[in-house]
Amino acid sequence: MKFNIIVCIKQVPDTSDIKWTKNNTIQRDGLDSILNPYDVGAIQLAKNVKYILKNRNIDVEITAVTMGPPQAENVLKTAIAMGCDKGALLTDKKFSGADTLATAYTLSQFIKEVIPDFKMIICGQQAIDGDTAQTPSSMAEKLNINQITSVVALKEINEAYSLWIKDTKTATEEIKSGFPLLIATTLSNTEIIPNINGYIKAQKAVIDAYDANKIKADNSKIGLSGSPTQVKKAFKYEISRDTMILEDNNIDNCAEFIINEINKCRENNV
Amino acid sequence: MCSTVLVYIEINNKKIEKVTEEIISKIKSVNENAEINGVLLCDEKTKSELSDDLSLLPLNKIYVLTDSVFDTFQTCVYAKSLAEFVRNNCPDILLMGATENGRDLAPRTASMLDIGLTADCTDIEIDEQNNLLATRPTYGGKMMATIVSKTRPNFATIRPGAFKTQKSDISTNEVVTIHPENPGIEYLYEVINCTPKPQIEDWTCSEIIVSGGLGLKSKDNFELIYKLCDIIHAKPAATRAAIELGWAEPSIQVGQTGNSISPKLYIAFGISGAMQHMVGITNSDKIIAINTDKNAPIMKAADIAIVADAELVLKSLIKHCS
Repeated sequence: MKFNIIVCIKQVPDTSDIKWTKNNTIQRDGLDSILNPYDVGAIQLAKNVKYILKNRNIDVEITAVTMGPPQAENVLKTAIAMGCDKGALLTDKKFSGADTLATAYTLSQFIKEVIPDFKMIICGQQAIDGDTAQTPSSMAEKLNINQITSVVALKEINEAYSLWIKDTKTATEEIKSGFPLLIATTLSNTEIIPNINGYIKAQKAVIDAYDANKIKADNSKIGLSGSPTQVKKAFKYEISRDTMILEDNNIDNCAEFIINEINKCRENNV
Repeated sequence: MCSTVLVYIEINNKKIEKVTEEIISKIKSVNENAEINGVLLCDEKTKSELSDDLSLLPLNKIYVLTDSVFDTFQTCVYAKSLAEFVRNNCPDILLMGATENGRDLAPRTASMLDIGLTADCTDIEIDEQNNLLATRPTYGGKMMATIVSKTRPNFATIRPGAFKTQKSDISTNEVVTIHPENPGIEYLYEVINCTPKPQIEDWTCSEIIVSGGLGLKSKDNFELIYKLCDIIHAKPAATRAAIELGWAEPSIQVGQTGNSISPKLYIAFGISGAMQHMVGITNSDKIIAINTDKNAPIMKAADIAIVADAELVLKSLIKHCS
């Protein structure tokens, strides 16, 4: 029996290169799209699972899935070049405007309909555009499976169970769980450089596309209409205080001024 | 109509997480008439150990969901009982700290209840219809978005350190203990090994925080921040850019992906004031910025803007203070 792994990925704007328009909105034209860095970590973990299980003669298939416009196919090809076996694109005008709840529903609906015998879902913990980290947990609930988040490494895996290292600010834990299971990883600096075979495989790959009908989605739970949260306004953040400007070419005067402020701050607390 | 707000009381290492009090203080400041209740999950032992601390929280009622499986935090187990409680309690608004555990628990709970959720908010308002207006940084901290939800309760997680704790004379009137019928044991996973990390002292509310950015030009110059902090008994901090260059430890990062701070005095050396940094310093009582560029964004946000070379001023300060 095949050991199916699903890696959920997202195409995100390169947030390190965001420019503003005159109307205080984000300039979307010409913004580079990249594969969310945390998802590269997820692909790496999936490859590690595949490598270990292959040595135990278990046949592993990694399917990368993303929801987005037709051009999101690119990010799936990138994932295939990096080592995923297949790509699935959830694309439908009805999916657009989805918040994390609607996204989690749509992804879980695809999984239920297309890969119901999956063993594992691996996600990047968050996407660098929204930074919400909500979709993985939300999806695990929709599929009624257990979740381990903040995962940084796979320690052991066989057909019955897996052992993962979870790393948070308070502790490093070793967690054991059977399948099916959702893993969310905080690895965001992983680099996978595809080899020539990867590129060829990606080029040849036919990406399967799925619309709302094909995954039997409930229209009231997808896209904008299925999203309880809505952005009321978006704005540029500015703090503005009554600023006193000190321009003094004498550096020592500047230093003394600061010392005075430090002393004032200390005195107020006596 | 007065709104009811339910606050999730997070327990970590047998202590109430500070963000819990920050959330309560903030709700009181945005809506003084709100009925604020709290809910926590713990075992009997923790409940009795915490009873004094709990009674100091300025809440109307505290619901304690008690079961032996709640002795350590596990997302799926906690989510099940919390969701069930929220379904029966029907608050208008539900708030939780955006701690690591909170950001795990909240989406699972929201998904179970099929309600919307806004992550990691740095500001909240409650309007006349008891709607929560939750504001959060997005696009890597380059944009702010105010988000509303059409499902009840309106649910959000709140960034630790985003709000200040205000002292309150009122303490909790009533503690209600609930024993969930089916606490979700089926979801338990096995923790084979747990190595706790040393607790890092919370420096984010220190009286004086001195911070450095790329304007200091080198790692050697950044070391002077530590030196000055030693002399004047302040705490050091750094921008994301400085940390990415390896000038300082990630734990002292201030901003969207780092810490939110609320010192009495914040002194920023060679920091330009990218938006993702500014969201972390907004609660500082007084900001002094030292930068050669008079037009840098931080110079408008500061109370005192000193147009000078950060490195030279820092060196002179150390000389004067030593």
